[in-house]
Amino acid sequence: MKRREFWLLVTPSVIVMFGFMLVPLYRTLRWSFQKVDYGSPGAEVGLTNYIGALTDPRLGRAVLFTVGLTVVVTAFCLVFGYILATLINQLGRMRPIVLGILLISYVLPHVVGAVAFSWLFDSNFGGIVNFLANQLTGGAFGEPLWFTDPWPNRVIVAANVVWFMLPFAMLMILAGLQGVSAETLEAAEIDGASSLQRHLHVIIPSIRGVLGFVLLIFTMDVIRIFDSLIPLSPQAVGLGNESIMLYIYNVAFREGAVNLGLGSAISVLTIVLILILLYPSIRGIVKEARA
Amino acid sequence: MHVSRSFRLLAAGLLSVSLIGLSACGAGSRTGAETATKVACDFVNPAEPTTINVLAYNSSAVDPYSNTMVSSCTHDNVTVKHDPIDFGGQVQKTTATLAGDTGSYDVIETYSFVVPDLASREKLVPLDDLFAKYKDAYQLDDIDESLRKAMSYDGKLYGLPMQTQVLTMVYRKDLFEKNGLQPPTTFDELREASKKLQDSGDMKYPLALPWLASGDISTAYKAALNSLGKDFVDATTKTPNFTSEESVQAFEELKSLLPFMDPQVTTFDQPKVQQQLYNGSAAIGIMFSGRMNDLVQQKNTKLYDKFAFAAPPAVEDGGKQYGALSVDGWSIPFNTKIDHDLLFQLLAASVSEDASKASIPAAYPARKGLDQTASPYAAAAKAAIDGAPPAEAQPWVPPITAANTEIIAQVITGKQSVEDGTKAMQAAAETVLSEQ
Amino acid sequence: MTIDLTQVGDAAPRGPIAAASALTDSDGPTRPHRSRRRTVAVISALVLTATCLLMIFPFLWAALSAAKPTDVAFANPPVFSFAPTLQPYVDLWQTTNFYLYLANTLTVAVISTLVALVIGLPCAYALSRYGGVASIVLLVLALVFRALPRFAVVLPMYEISKSIGIYDTTYALAAALIAINQPFTIWLLRNFFAEIPRELDEAAMVDGCTRFGVLRKIMIPLMGPGILTAGIFVFLFAFQEYLTAAVLTDVSAKTVPVFIATQIGQNLPLLQQASAATVLLTLPVIGIAFVAQKYLVAGLNSGAVKG
Repeated sequence: MKRREFWLLVTPSVIVMFGFMLVPLYRTLRWSFQKVDYGSPGAEVGLTNYIGALTDPRLGRAVLFTVGLTVVVTAFCLVFGYILATLINQLGRMRPIVLGILLISYVLPHVVGAVAFSWLFDSNFGGIVNFLANQLTGGAFGEPLWFTDPWPNRVIVAANVVWFMLPFAMLMILAGLQGVSAETLEAAEIDGASSLQRHLHVIIPSIRGVLGFVLLIFTMDVIRIFDSLIPLSPQAVGLGNESIMLYIYNVAFREGAVNLGLGSAISVLTIVLILILLYPSIRGIVKEARA
Repeated sequence: MHVSRSFRLLAAGLLSVSLIGLSACGAGSRTGAETATKVACDFVNPAEPTTINVLAYNSSAVDPYSNTMVSSCTHDNVTVKHDPIDFGGQVQKTTATLAGDTGSYDVIETYSFVVPDLASREKLVPLDDLFAKYKDAYQLDDIDESLRKAMSYDGKLYGLPMQTQVLTMVYRKDLFEKNGLQPPTTFDELREASKKLQDSGDMKYPLALPWLASGDISTAYKAALNSLGKDFVDATTKTPNFTSEESVQAFEELKSLLPFMDPQVTTFDQPKVQQQLYNGSAAIGIMFSGRMNDLVQQKNTKLYDKFAFAAPPAVEDGGKQYGALSVDGWSIPFNTKIDHDLLFQLLAASVSEDASKASIPAAYPARKGLDQTASPYAAAAKAAIDGAPPAEAQPWVPPITAANTEIIAQVITGKQSVEDGTKAMQAAAETVLSEQ
Repeated sequence: MTIDLTQVGDAAPRGPIAAASALTDSDGPTRPHRSRRRTVAVISALVLTATCLLMIFPFLWAALSAAKPTDVAFANPPVFSFAPTLQPYVDLWQTTNFYLYLANTLTVAVISTLVALVIGLPCAYALSRYGGVASIVLLVLALVFRALPRFAVVLPMYEISKSIGIYDTTYALAAALIAINQPFTIWLLRNFFAEIPRELDEAAMVDGCTRFGVLRKIMIPLMGPGILTAGIFVFLFAFQEYLTAAVLTDVSAKTVPVFIATQIGQNLPLLQQASAATVLLTLPVIGIAFVAQKYLVAGLNSGAVKG
């Protein structure tokens, strides 16, 4: 393809993307060096915001919580998504129905899903989970403090993220499984490979690309978890269950604590963190393209 | 090919659905018909079609006023629009709409707590001239003068009062009777009654207070501190009172109630306290009076006929009540593009005599001389108003509250000691004051 | 992508994996474990049924709370026998501007899907065919844009849209969503294009087609499943977007997710309306999910996620 053609074809998309992303990003970068209120020009304050962000233990807690959540959720969804995809791949007539049901939580807006999710655990709204668990265990389950005890709260937040992200992992892996060649599988079977060995040595390596893609999307999406925490962790700050995005929201948008400069500085620091996490993928793309 | 055709069909279908939706947009504004009253709203018809956006949170006490405004003042060229929103949403939208030269809203619901702060920053339109102009047409003189004062700052009126909201106590009369209890008048008696209810086995956590860690908990601390006779800031010396003896005592007293409340009480806003009472999970609650009428509605709960009301207890014997007196009203934001004269008539119509009458018993109207005998809680609210500590109407109260809410939550949940917490609050308040 | 995930596979619980693969075994005569295979089939059916139930339960429970009479809607302990009602739906329709929020949501989703595809297709095609440095740089930048914390772009957008007077309009929200979802769109479409052999382009160009002719007459018809897949994703992203919509809209352009989110702290009857709104918002997308799942799997399989 000629260079001129390339630029002609990509220009509309590039204008939209760069116009709507780089201009705001530049604003954020400027704000991060300013003390600024909505609707009025800011005053330069140098590195004050960065120093403020980096010396606030809240940022460290938020990063720890967010990264921890990302690792746990991603690992669980890759493993369980793989199992689900394998099971669904065997289905015949039931397949469309099962797939359709599993996709519901993915298509529901996250904040709405999280509200529905919070009702399951909140005794003021019936507390169906505690109720059913106590029916089953004869009361041994008790009444965990889902919203005020750090670990139970982490469990419901993680469960909620798994709930709406698992279908995506399952769908991608299922698509990948369609491409695994039957001949290779047969050959492995003739060689006497057990089914576990076949999964480990044939299927998983051949859908490595898909798994990498799922890992990449999960890293990007769980890192910026925000919506779910609003209904599920009303006391996120006190419990140490504040995500990075929620932290930015709390300092830059909530009433009383409107500090856009500090929020922007945290945004910029988050971008740096994300770039570090994405580095292997970026290197992969560049390497692949060079080859 | 087949697939892309079905995609085109899908897209076309969705587009047409959305167009049908759009063509229905001219249908005008909607309102909770049940609580809307038709009153006279005789403004001079503006030359151009005008949409007036109203920002007001939903509660059964505020709804009658907003709904009356929408249904009575939407005529001729004027369309009044009010979207349902929760209290947290109103707080956030108020900040946002007042931030720049243009705002989304033309009428905003305000309350005496925020008026001094907003007025001192010139975010609200002074209403005195308009008040004088329409005083007779809408009999505005009948609106209690002390409430008008509560919505004033520096001698100027910034909000037209619609109703009083006062912390009121609700209790289960059946359980009180069964256990031989009287409504508590001090925190000592409150603890005693709660203990008795707990011991009787009727209820695990008999007390429910709105102590949401990111919001209402600061109201609780403020009520306790005021009950002990202290304000946030000494108005003459301009020094914060957070490290005072009373502040420490306020924390100790509040914490002493924790054993009688649900362990997750720091996630309770007022609607959740209502849920506690509806579901029979709690027997005593203290909330703003505007939430009380919901409790005696048969459609809301099977326990609707079991509730009785009283003024809240005092923290200390002989002190003022654990109380908070708030006035709700309407204000005009400084950045609205709509004629203030027109807007004021909407406000006046919404709090007119007929409208105020119709808001009983859901609300406790700001107008004097209305018959409130039909209201199940009006007597309790009256007693609560009389015994409430005077409100600290100063511009620094909202920013100090915002800066301290998280610390208050930390102290009450035991994550920070009272000593460290009060010191941190004092420091935060000093910062706010130095910036004023 | 070159990330090796065999480690994750190793950590997998062995039971179900083995169970699943046993199902894939052909019915060869050398397999003596018929009963074992049946057990495995039962277990896998159980796992799938349980997962489906768990996944749909929160949605069902919310729907149920809208169907109960108000006094028992959120009763504790929960009530299971009641006279079903449609009142919250009636109230939602009559007392709020729900139809307007729904129309806004659909408008934003449709506009942003159509525009995203129109500008995304040529870009993705070019990226799949041009091997220069610019191509790699664009792809990497798109990846970085995809990963950005939303606030870093949305809060400035709020300021900018207010200052140029397009705040709280459906088209401003749609434009923001097109830009935000453009990286995903072009990545996905580019991978689809990469599956189509280049020889086809060359043959067509020998026949006298221009580049645009190739794209319009040859590539796009071949891309049916790919376009559908990308379209579904972009539509869903726009339809369910909360954060961007919450910041960029207020009164006139409010979408359903934003509306529902402002109802969380309401009292009883309004909470039921929020449940009703959830159901009404979700039913159309569940319909789409059921129709689309076949194409999604087929479409994604045809190359989009090979990485």
